[in-house]
Amino acid sequence: MTTISTIGNDRVAGILLRRSTLVSALVVVAALFAVESLGSRILVSLLTQAAIVSLLALGVGVLTRISGLVSFGHAAPFGLGAYGAAWALSGGSALPPEAGLIVVVPLVAAVFFLVGLVVSRLEGIGFSMLTLALGQAVFVAVSKFRGLTGGADGVVVNLPRRLFGLSSDTVQSPYGMLVLSVTAIGLLYVELRLFELSHLGRLAVAIRENEERTRFLGYGVRALKAAVFALSAAVAALGGVLYALYQGFVSPEILHWSFSGSALIMAILGGSSALWGPIAGAFSFFFLREGLNELTSHWLAVLGAMLIVVTVAWPTGLSGGVETLLRRLAGAAKRRDTQ
Amino acid sequence: MTALFRCVGVGKRYGGVVALMDVSLDLEAGKVHGLIGPNGAGKSTFIDVASGRTPGLGQVFLDGRDITRTPPSLRRRMGVSRSFQRTSIFPALTIRDQLELAAHGVGGENISELVGMLALEPVLDTRAEEVSYGQQRLVDLALALVGNPRVLLLDEPAAGLSVAESQALAAHLEEIAERWNVATLLVEHDMDVVFRVCHVLTVLASGRWLVSGPPAELRNDPAVIRAYFGSAA
Amino acid sequence: MLINALNGLVYGSLLFVLSSGLVLVYGLRRVVNFAHGALYMLGAYIGYSIAIRFGFAAGVVAAALALGLVGVALDLAIFRLLSARNPLVTVIVTFGVMLILEDFVRSVWGTQNYAIDPPQALSGVVQIGGAPFPIYRLFVVAASGVMAATLAGWLRWGRTGLFVRAASHDPSVAAMCGVRTAVIGPMVVGLGAAFAGVAGIVAAPFLSLNPSMGSEILVLSFVVSVIGGLGSFPGAFASAMLLGQVQAFGTVYTPELASLLPFLLMALVLVFRPQGIAGSRA
Repeated sequence: MTTISTIGNDRVAGILLRRSTLVSALVVVAALFAVESLGSRILVSLLTQAAIVSLLALGVGVLTRISGLVSFGHAAPFGLGAYGAAWALSGGSALPPEAGLIVVVPLVAAVFFLVGLVVSRLEGIGFSMLTLALGQAVFVAVSKFRGLTGGADGVVVNLPRRLFGLSSDTVQSPYGMLVLSVTAIGLLYVELRLFELSHLGRLAVAIRENEERTRFLGYGVRALKAAVFALSAAVAALGGVLYALYQGFVSPEILHWSFSGSALIMAILGGSSALWGPIAGAFSFFFLREGLNELTSHWLAVLGAMLIVVTVAWPTGLSGGVETLLRRLAGAAKRRDTQ
Repeated sequence: MTALFRCVGVGKRYGGVVALMDVSLDLEAGKVHGLIGPNGAGKSTFIDVASGRTPGLGQVFLDGRDITRTPPSLRRRMGVSRSFQRTSIFPALTIRDQLELAAHGVGGENISELVGMLALEPVLDTRAEEVSYGQQRLVDLALALVGNPRVLLLDEPAAGLSVAESQALAAHLEEIAERWNVATLLVEHDMDVVFRVCHVLTVLASGRWLVSGPPAELRNDPAVIRAYFGSAA
Repeated sequence: MLINALNGLVYGSLLFVLSSGLVLVYGLRRVVNFAHGALYMLGAYIGYSIAIRFGFAAGVVAAALALGLVGVALDLAIFRLLSARNPLVTVIVTFGVMLILEDFVRSVWGTQNYAIDPPQALSGVVQIGGAPFPIYRLFVVAASGVMAATLAGWLRWGRTGLFVRAASHDPSVAAMCGVRTAVIGPMVVGLGAAFAGVAGIVAAPFLSLNPSMGSEILVLSFVVSVIGGLGSFPGAFASAMLLGQVQAFGTVYTPELASLLPFLLMALVLVFRPQGIAGSRA
């Protein structure tokens, strides 16, 4: 019988070299190239915003997919990432701007790891309630502490003229930021996939399936739950950093519960059947909103209705739909081969 | 020789209700200690408190060391393992993945032997939710046995099994206790399994200790019969 | 000092009435109604519109009736239909309902603040310990007390209350014993919603009306629930009173931190006693 432990490594190498991964990567690169050369500025702008926010949605989605938990407060790590970036570039920190920027995401992750240790004591609904409360707490704190954060007026982000070898004009142009954010998404996706297939990733799933038995198998469960929470926060925080760089301005509205709510909708719309679900959900959401903005100003109500419909009628979301479609195609192909 | 695993004065209260009071027993390496009694006697409660699953009264010692306050995850790594009456496995993981998961925590040297003994080879790559109930019970047991635990606490492993499956299980338990020198506590309803496998029995009734002794003796003990049937049969 | 404590009592009473509604619905349907804050807000606005035309008492009645109906509708249309699914699904749906209600309130009443005066009979101040204290606030405490006592009494001694407790504990067994869970559901949720609505209009004279009042109070009632233990009335009572005092004294002595104190308290409870004041260890 094959030694059990080598199977993990084979799988890890497997996804990187799998045909579908390479093909998807090529498609994305080709699409990016096409959009950059042929797309209107409006389109590229929309895509860039969607890409940045998709990181927030991905953070929410990762938490649901791995731990089965629903967060109503993920605007908090996103916003903290954005404010962190603003602070790193403000000259108020002891570090040079580029070093400061690099530190933001790990710092947010560390904070949320500690929060995770406490927060993971609650399950299911209790956890969700808590995330809403925490998100609001951060919103209130940032709005109040004017000295640190500029309060409700927000804070301007001082980009230096060059950042990591790129000019600030590139970073703040939709064309430039689109490439940056899509690259970030791509790299993050691969890393997250690797995590999911690693021992830690499967342990996290085991915890979701049967936390008690996992404990009785000798694992300290709390640290891992906190780690997954911190990971999902880090993903959102990266989005926040890009947001701050792109917009050049941060204000408390990116910490408001309605923003967390939108992220949740994107994640649900995209579904958790596939890791890329929330990303698809985010892009769809932005295009939907563009279209619907013409028709109605009751955006909140539309959001609410959409959330209800998708959650009740289409819980597997876009990614679920695609997976089913692919499975049917694969099934049809197999039948064709055997005939 | 002092016992490997000692439970002293174990008890459990739910508000005003006393589910279990002052029950003590010892487990010795290589021997199977059966815990029996009518429904509601407190057998599962005993295992839950002794394994650290629920808080309760009393103390638990491993090799002379007080592990009453030690959390279950740490106990497992010290070699104290348990199975569950209501099958507690990982439905969406394959049998192979679950055993590997267990091995990562406590070491997997005995996995091939386990898989062979419990005849799980054919379903190794099947998801747990798709195998038969009997095999799921075996997986529950296997998860507890990975890594050669020193102490094994079994909560009705034969629950829901057919006669043939129970007999096979009894044979496995005998083998495990003997071959791997495991100190075993067996909570069981199935008397055939109990009388075949156990070296010593403790009988509980209404949450209290009734009597302990070798199975042959207790079989005809009037107190035991009364506890089960309400009056001398 | 005494005035602060009294203010804390006022605020705590209000929080308790609101959280009771949440506990009622959770107890029965095992679902946390994320739209609860929006119900509070809707009650306040509906009560306001009726009150400025027909008087305060009419406003309160209107809020209670309207929100009771909304609650019944919520139960019939959502909670009952989704009861077989994962409770999180229902929770997310109630979040969607919250968004819709928020939009509705904004559309109908606009985004500006409204103020409403307490009714003539209850306006004015009374001297307590040498300082003036609004009579209306005493009324709020009294009214909350009456509502809480009635609820407690009904649950404890009333027949329907017994059925509610049974159904909360185990719906299927209760149904087998003849408890008409189909009727109890809408009744309980309607009652919970009515409580929220009445809390809204009763609070309006001293808290004023604004479009974010729903989400603010929702978050606070969540904090109350976490601190008190999810699903526990005594826990909600204790933690609502505690938070009321914390808020009252906090606003006076640490105004900068005041709005964060509830969250800090919640964090402390989570670290040292995650099941809440009255919750039981799972």
